[in-house]
Amino acid sequence: MRPFKVIRPTNEKEAMEQVSKGNASYLAAGTDLLNRIKEHVASPDSVVDLKSLPGMNTIEVTDQGIWIGALVRLSAVSSHTDVLSRFPAVCETIIHAATPQIRNMATVGGNLCQKPRCWYLRHEGYSCVKNGGTGCWARDGENEFHGIFDNQICSATQPSNLAPVLVAHEAVIEIASKDGVRELTADQFFIGPSSDPLREVSLEEGEFVRRVMLPESTRAGSWAYEEAREKQSFDWAQASVTLLLDRGGRKGDHRVVLGAVSPAPLRRSDIEKKIDGSDDEIAEASGIAGAGATPLSENGYKIPMLKGLIGKAIRSARSRKEG
Amino acid sequence: MVSKNKNPENPEKDGVSRRSFLQGAGAAAAAAGVARIPETVIAGQNGVATPEVLGPEAESIQLKVNGADKKASAPPSTTLLDFLRNDVGVTGPKRVCDRGSCGACTVLLDGQVVDSCSMLAIDAVGKEITTVEGIGTPDNLSRLQKAFIEKDALQCGFCTPGMVVSCTALLEENPKPSRNQIREGLSGNLCRCGTYQNIIEAVEHVSRKGG
Repeated sequence: MRPFKVIRPTNEKEAMEQVSKGNASYLAAGTDLLNRIKEHVASPDSVVDLKSLPGMNTIEVTDQGIWIGALVRLSAVSSHTDVLSRFPAVCETIIHAATPQIRNMATVGGNLCQKPRCWYLRHEGYSCVKNGGTGCWARDGENEFHGIFDNQICSATQPSNLAPVLVAHEAVIEIASKDGVRELTADQFFIGPSSDPLREVSLEEGEFVRRVMLPESTRAGSWAYEEAREKQSFDWAQASVTLLLDRGGRKGDHRVVLGAVSPAPLRRSDIEKKIDGSDDEIAEASGIAGAGATPLSENGYKIPMLKGLIGKAIRSARSRKEG
Repeated sequence: MVSKNKNPENPEKDGVSRRSFLQGAGAAAAAAGVARIPETVIAGQNGVATPEVLGPEAESIQLKVNGADKKASAPPSTTLLDFLRNDVGVTGPKRVCDRGSCGACTVLLDGQVVDSCSMLAIDAVGKEITTVEGIGTPDNLSRLQKAFIEKDALQCGFCTPGMVVSCTALLEENPKPSRNQIREGLSGNLCRCGTYQNIIEAVEHVSRKGG
């Protein structure tokens, strides 16, 4: 692997100063960054190790919600008793992510900021709109695992398993920035290529995620997470559906967020409206799964896959509610 | 611990960052009238923030591997796997995919399974690292390793060190795992010979005999 310096800042200001000097990247666990360095698609001269900052490795339970530090490991979130009891869908999405080994290593912040798994983007031989060039190789190339929505500029999908459930819970993303701390909701945080093809999240130069807050007011009356993948042992999702029913005890306050089919998690309020408790809600909701989709040559299968997953999610959430 | 200071008289301890160690050592050295105090420590003690900078050249790295201190000089960009195999000669963990996908490099870090290829060696400073060598030896195999032999749970053997580490962690956490829990526990370890069934039987064999 190409050698680099490791810089350990003692405070957030120092971290931001160091990362803006020359060719530098932030480092959390490194499970994504190290792979990209090995593949020669990232080549930082120095990495600024966020693990040396205090206070970012704790889970804090308050009346307003649960604050999860950006450096908390995925396995520590999914096994946390309060997260499990109050936000079980979050834990479920995590245990579908990666492997036991990676879940013990990878951090929440790193999971949200990992780069897409597009095989062109992760190949040093390809230049595209996402790494400063032009065009999208996948559109006319190998695109079996690429997006079917909002895929004109770039067809890579958001790889984070946590992203859709954070959008469904309207999680607050707390960001360390040059002017202090700022907050975005999860749906503001994850962005598509029309905003900026070089980024998948709304972090400006030097910024990093400090904490994520799951708001108590969005706790679900019932929930489901369904995903399909090629390999059952572990794999990235081909498509996923996160469903929250009656959030905060408010009847009809549902959330449907699709994952692995678009550059940012895709909330579908049209599908949410179809989930009305009627006898044909499954047919109605899953029937419109493909509305607005622009599938590519090899990924049209994701539309019937989504229909199946939506039906499965509604059945699962309804039966969980009953008991 | 990571230290540029090669003075053998420095009492290097595990679990202490270079910064905190040198701050402590610097204070002690100042009290003892020793002149050689790194500039960064003085700046830090005066409240002027100064980040610790390691590399890109080799640094002295000391890790606790299977209960013993292992020290070598390596760039801070070295992965834990490469440090173990190439720098301190602990070759149980295998380098197969080197991308965190296959699990052949699995080790325990403070008792938890991790892919040693996908983290930096310096991030393991102060933690207990257990490789397959720390689980059993040819003369003193663990019960799980004996069960691997009895149940013929390997063919080429290349995934075996990682499998043994993952199975050991699994049984430690859950001495009576169901078949699905075993499958889930081993989902980060690939076996290209396809010996999964026999590996599951080996785990169940140990589990039946009471963990």
